[in-house]
Formats: sequence, structure tokens, C-alpha cells
Amino acid sequence: MSLPESMSRVVVVGTKSHMEEAIEAFYSVRALHVIDHTAGTDGMSIGSPLPTNTKASERLLKVRAMEKELGIGKNTETSKVSADELREQISYGSVEGVEAEVLKVLDVRNDLNRRITELNAKKKSLELLTAIPVDLELYSGYKSLAVIVGTVEKDPSEALKALADAEIFVSFKKKKKKSGGGVAAVFVKNEDRDKASSILSDHGFVEFAVPEGKGPASGALVLADAGLADLNDKLESVEKEVEALQIKHKTFLRATDEELSIEIEKGEVPLRLAVGEYSYIMDAWVPTKKVQVVTTELESRLGNDVHIEVEETRGRNMHEEEEAEERFKKAPTKNNNGIIAKEFEHATSLVAIPKYQEIDPSILIMFFLPLFFGFMIGDCGYAIPFIIIGAYGLKVTRHKDWRAIATVLFFGGIWSFLFGFFFFGEAFGMHFIGHWEPPLGMTWEALLGVSMPDWFSGIMVNGHGVSKLEDDVVMLLKLAVYIGIIHIMIGYICGFLNVRRQHNNKHAFIEKGGWIILFIGMVVLCYALTQVLFSKVPLEGMLLYLLIAGAAMLVVGVAINFKAEGAKAILEVPNVIGMILSYTRLAAIGMSKAGMAMAFNYIVFGMFMGMTDAVVWPEWYLLIPLLLFLAFLHFVVWTLGILSAGLHALRLQFVELMTKFFVGGGTKYEPLIIKRFKTIKQETNKEV
Amino acid sequence: MALEGEAAGLAAIGAGLAVGLTGIGAGMGEKDVGAAAVGAMTEDRSIFGTAMIFMVIPETIVIFGLVIAIIALFAL
Repeated sequence: MSLPESMSRVVVVGTKSHMEEAIEAFYSVRALHVIDHTAGTDGMSIGSPLPTNTKASERLLKVRAMEKELGIGKNTETSKVSADELREQISYGSVEGVEAEVLKVLDVRNDLNRRITELNAKKKSLELLTAIPVDLELYSGYKSLAVIVGTVEKDPSEALKALADAEIFVSFKKKKKKSGGGVAAVFVKNEDRDKASSILSDHGFVEFAVPEGKGPASGALVLADAGLADLNDKLESVEKEVEALQIKHKTFLRATDEELSIEIEKGEVPLRLAVGEYSYIMDAWVPTKKVQVVTTELESRLGNDVHIEVEETRGRNMHEEEEAEERFKKAPTKNNNGIIAKEFEHATSLVAIPKYQEIDPSILIMFFLPLFFGFMIGDCGYAIPFIIIGAYGLKVTRHKDWRAIATVLFFGGIWSFLFGFFFFGEAFGMHFIGHWEPPLGMTWEALLGVSMPDWFSGIMVNGHGVSKLEDDVVMLLKLAVYIGIIHIMIGYICGFLNVRRQHNNKHAFIEKGGWIILFIGMVVLCYALTQVLFSKVPLEGMLLYLLIAGAAMLVVGVAINFKAEGAKAILEVPNVIGMILSYTRLAAIGMSKAGMAMAFNYIVFGMFMGMTDAVVWPEWYLLIPLLLFLAFLHFVVWTLGILSAGLHALRLQFVELMTKFFVGGGTKYEPLIIKRFKTIKQETNKEV
Repeated sequence: MALEGEAAGLAAIGAGLAVGLTGIGAGMGEKDVGAAAVGAMTEDRSIFGTAMIFMVIPETIVIFGLVIAIIALFAL
């Protein structure tokens, strides 16, 4: 079974003066999972970032700011740039150069934006003031008069009459607009100001500043409009300049962003090492099979400046982990799977990263997830789009979520086709072979008016495939249960192997052996009981022995579990039956899908086309829309199939299978690797 | 179906009740678990697997109901 890759712990010691080259070399071997140094041991302390980092961070900040302003993002299409040339450009100050160029335009744009905002505010005030017949210069310049101007929600004219010697202008429209009712301008003596304010505030008054200017507000409004149009024109031309800058610099900015990020990441490596006055020490995990190559590569690159020593090769027994020093306890998990199983690692990681010492369930998921999916769909008509979409998805997509889905669809589609053709003998909810007896008995043979050759029916189970909705229902349920028993048993065996590897045989027997015995006992007992209760087989001979043997194993299993886990183990016993019955969903979901497909076929063929007794095709103008309608209905079934079959197949892995052996909680293996997307390094990194 | 007449009708009602009532039960169970699981997942996406396991536990009851319904309809 596939365990994560074996790991060895190495110590790399080198001279501090050559640390920069050493870091380059560490990245180039692409296999060192650095163990962070914890401060204060042996006179060594945590290192500080490389001196070049400060400048690089500063530049990265500028680059990111420019990218944001120019609207350059992750998804902006740019071409690749040579990393060496780029570094040269950066060191000659091209980031600063571009910044000056970009800032110049951006400053103009920001200034224009600010002026437009101001002018818009002024315009809004002027629009309100056009309703009041007072020139703009008359609103200010008084010693003994206070001028209050603002919007009101309710008409204050009546209330304001209480003010003596006041000049009041109110423009109020009865029809309430969004922004309120109207505008009021009140000229009062200074001493009456508070009184006027309080009256106005009762009418939902909000004061605004009167813009400076001369003459009537309408005149100023025309001027403001003209100014605004002018500014907008200017802004438009500046936007064009910004766009041009975006096109001109996007490649440089994206590439520089990546290059500087890489430089900073490398520069921060000393923070994870122990650095003394003259030397540094790095602890790291390396896959055991790469240790030799890594050592040779580092020594050849760094010569006498480096010394590498293998400290340990971590075994799978837990005591090795328990005895290790705190920071060396957990070896990282590097999944060890082939190219297909690799696609299912994501499904495993949805639950947890496997521990270093346990079986990686990805390979089991690879086998069972598409199998269950295919069994539940079980229809070669629906299978074909699954295969096509899955294959296309695998070809184009790189995102791991989508790749996982595409993989399940592709392999699930293949299984679905195999089951649909050879086992169920149906496509789009209709059997290939048989007579026309709607609603249940609708077949392709009768529908198309052809007679399938004998060899064709010969390759199917029962000669015409298993019927999901009629005679074979009980058989399907039993089959699902048998599949479940095998599936769960595999889970228990993996659990046993895990504990045996992590501890010893005795431990494994007590922890998992009890469950295996209990499970087998329960299966045998249930088999004997169903024979007696449902099939009415008399309880004698072999059946009696099976019943006794099953009961005995059940008791032994419970006893072992009781010893290992206490009273909780007894409560878990009924759960075993629950788990097995849980697999009946394999049949049940298949049936529900077949039922829906059958109903839809009957709606179109039986009810609309009236083919209830015999196949009689309607005229083409009726036929085409009805077939399109049918295609839509089948699309519904198909979509529901992805959801229900996919989720339930996954659930059976996560809940029924993986809980039997999978603990998880490992640390992911993350070696020092640089991934370049926008830049190209001339010297190709040698993968060891 | 082996049953006939009234017996067949009663078996069909029984099957309907088995699926319907267990469905309601599972729904009530999953309502609480699902709400809590989604809440927890917004905090920490890495618990998806665990959340899903909790989420589907009540659902088993519906499968039992379905099995009973199928036995009532086809196996009696």
C-alpha cells in the first residue's frame, strides 16, 4: 500500500560569508524541506534577512502599487521575460524610472478626479439655488445679517413668519423628490440666527455652503457645466494615457513583481536557519531516495564551503517520532502516488494530510470513487458526456479542484459506460433489448424498430441487462451491501496495517483486530438471520453453524474492543449494521435516477406522442420540439446525477472507508522551490 | 409485487411513510448540522472533510427508510 515517501533528516553546515550562494543552491536542488530553527540553542540565533531584501521589498511595494493603479492583476495576459535581463534592468533603477513615468500621469488623473468631484458638488448646490431669485454675490458680505441656506424636507414658510425683519426665500415642491422637498434661504439678524436655525431644523433642514460667484445661479450653473465637460474631456485623454501605460509596462511590472517576490523569499531563508558569527546550520528533511543526489549537487556547487550530514532516516514506528526532539518530531508527508492517484490526493487533503506513518488513502479513493460513481449512474447514455467533459477538463484545467472533478467525471464516466452497457444494458433510462410496454418497458429496440443481434444481448447480464426498477431491485440492494462489506473490510485491514506498522502486532490486534472479528461476526450473523427471517430457510445444518459462529465472533470482537476502548465499544456495535446498510445508497441512487429518466421518457413518448401501446412516430414538426424537450429533461437528470452520485460516492469514501484507518494531521512536504510563471531563468534548474 | 389488493395498498402507504418520515427526520437533523458546518467552514476551510462527515450522519436514517420502503414494495 502506498505510504508517504521515506524521509531523511540532514544537517547542512556552511560558512556565513557564502550564505547567499548557498541559498541559491538550496533552491536549485528543489528537495530541501527546511526545519525552522528555534532560537537560543548552542550560541546560534535565528538569522536575519539578506541585506538586499530591504531594497527589494521597497521596490516590490512600488511595483504592487503601480499594478493596482493601472489595473494589472493576476489574470492579465503578459509575455515571459528573461529573469537575468530583468534583474539587470531592476538594478539599473528601471522600477524607479517606470514609477516616475506612471506617477506623472496618475497625478494628473487624480488631480482631475478631485476637481471633477468638487465641481460636481458645486453644480449640485447651484442647481438647488436656481430656484431662489437671489444673485450669488448677495449671499455673503454682511456684518449684521446671518444667511442660512440649505435643503428642507417640509415646507417651513409658515413657521418662518414668526421671525421679525427677516427676508425669507423658500422654494418648495409639494411632490416629494428623492433628495427632499425644497430649498430655503433665510436672511435674518445675527441675534435671530439661533431661532431661525431651530425652526428650520424642525423641517428637516440640511445646510450647504453657497458657491462663490456673481450674478444669478443659473448663469453660474452654465459655466460649471462647461467646466465639467472640459474636465471630463481631459480626464478621458488621461485615461487613454493610463491605458497606454498599462499596455506598455504590464509585462515588465508582472515579471518584476514575480522576480522581486522570489528575491525576497530567498532573502528570508536565513530567518529559518541557525546563524552564528561565522557559520550557519540548516536542518532539513529530504526524501531518502534523493539524499545522495542532493548531497553531491550541493557539494559540487558549494565546494568546501558546505558540509552535509545525514542525521537519521525516519522509520514508520511511532516510538521514533516520540523519542525525537520537539522540532524534529514530525517528518513531512510527501505523497507517493502515480499520475492517476495523484489527482485524487486533493480529495484526501479535503479531510486531512496523511500522517507520515500511515497509508495514503488516495489510491483507494482512485479506485472506489469512480467505481461507485459509475455504478450509481449506470447508464451508457449519460456516461458519454461525462467522459468527454472529464477528458476535456483534464486537458485544459490546471486548478486542482477542477482537475479532481474532471478526473472523477472521466473515470466515473468510463465505469458508468461499462456498467451501463454490460450490466444494466441501458442508455438514457431505456433498455436496449425488450418489448414496448410503457411505462416500465420502453426499449431502444422497439423504439427504433430494429432487432438487435443475438451476440449483442449475449454480452449483457441476463441477456437484456439488469432492470433497476422491476425484478432485480432486491438483487441490486444485496449487491450494494456486498460491495459495502468488501469496502469496509479493506478499510479495517488498512487500519490494522497502519497500527501494526506504527506499533506492533499485539497493539494492532487489540486496536483493530477486535473490530475485524466483530465485523466478520456481524456479517455472518446477519446473513444467517436474513436467510431465516426473509428467505424462510429452516435453521439447521450449515446455517445453524454460521449463526453460532457469527454470534461467537461478535462476542469475541466486542470483548476485545471493550478491553481496548471501554463501554463506548458496545455502543458502536449497531453502527456496524448502519454502515453496511449505508451502501444501499449505491442501488437506491441508481434507481432514483433510472426512475426519473423512465418518467421523463414516458412523459414524452407515452403521454405526448401517445405511444402507449405501440411505437407510432408523430409528424416531424411535432417530433423535433418534443425531442428537444426530452433532451432538456435528460439534461436535468444528468446534472442531478453529478451532484448526487458524486457526493454520495465521495461520502462513502470519507465516512465509511476512511474513518476505519485514516487519522491524518501530517505536515505537508514543502521543499524550497521557485515557481516561475512570468519569468524565465536561463540556467535551467536541475531537478534532482 | 407479490401482495395484492388491500395489502398491496397498505404496503405502498407503508413505503411512503418510511421514506417520508425518515426524510423529515433527516432534514431536521441536517438543518442544524449543516448550518453549524457552514458557519464553521467560513472560519476555517480546511475542516471541509470533517464538516462533511458530520453533515451526512443524520442522512443514514433516510437510507434505512428507503431500504424498508423497497423491501415493502418488492420483497414482501
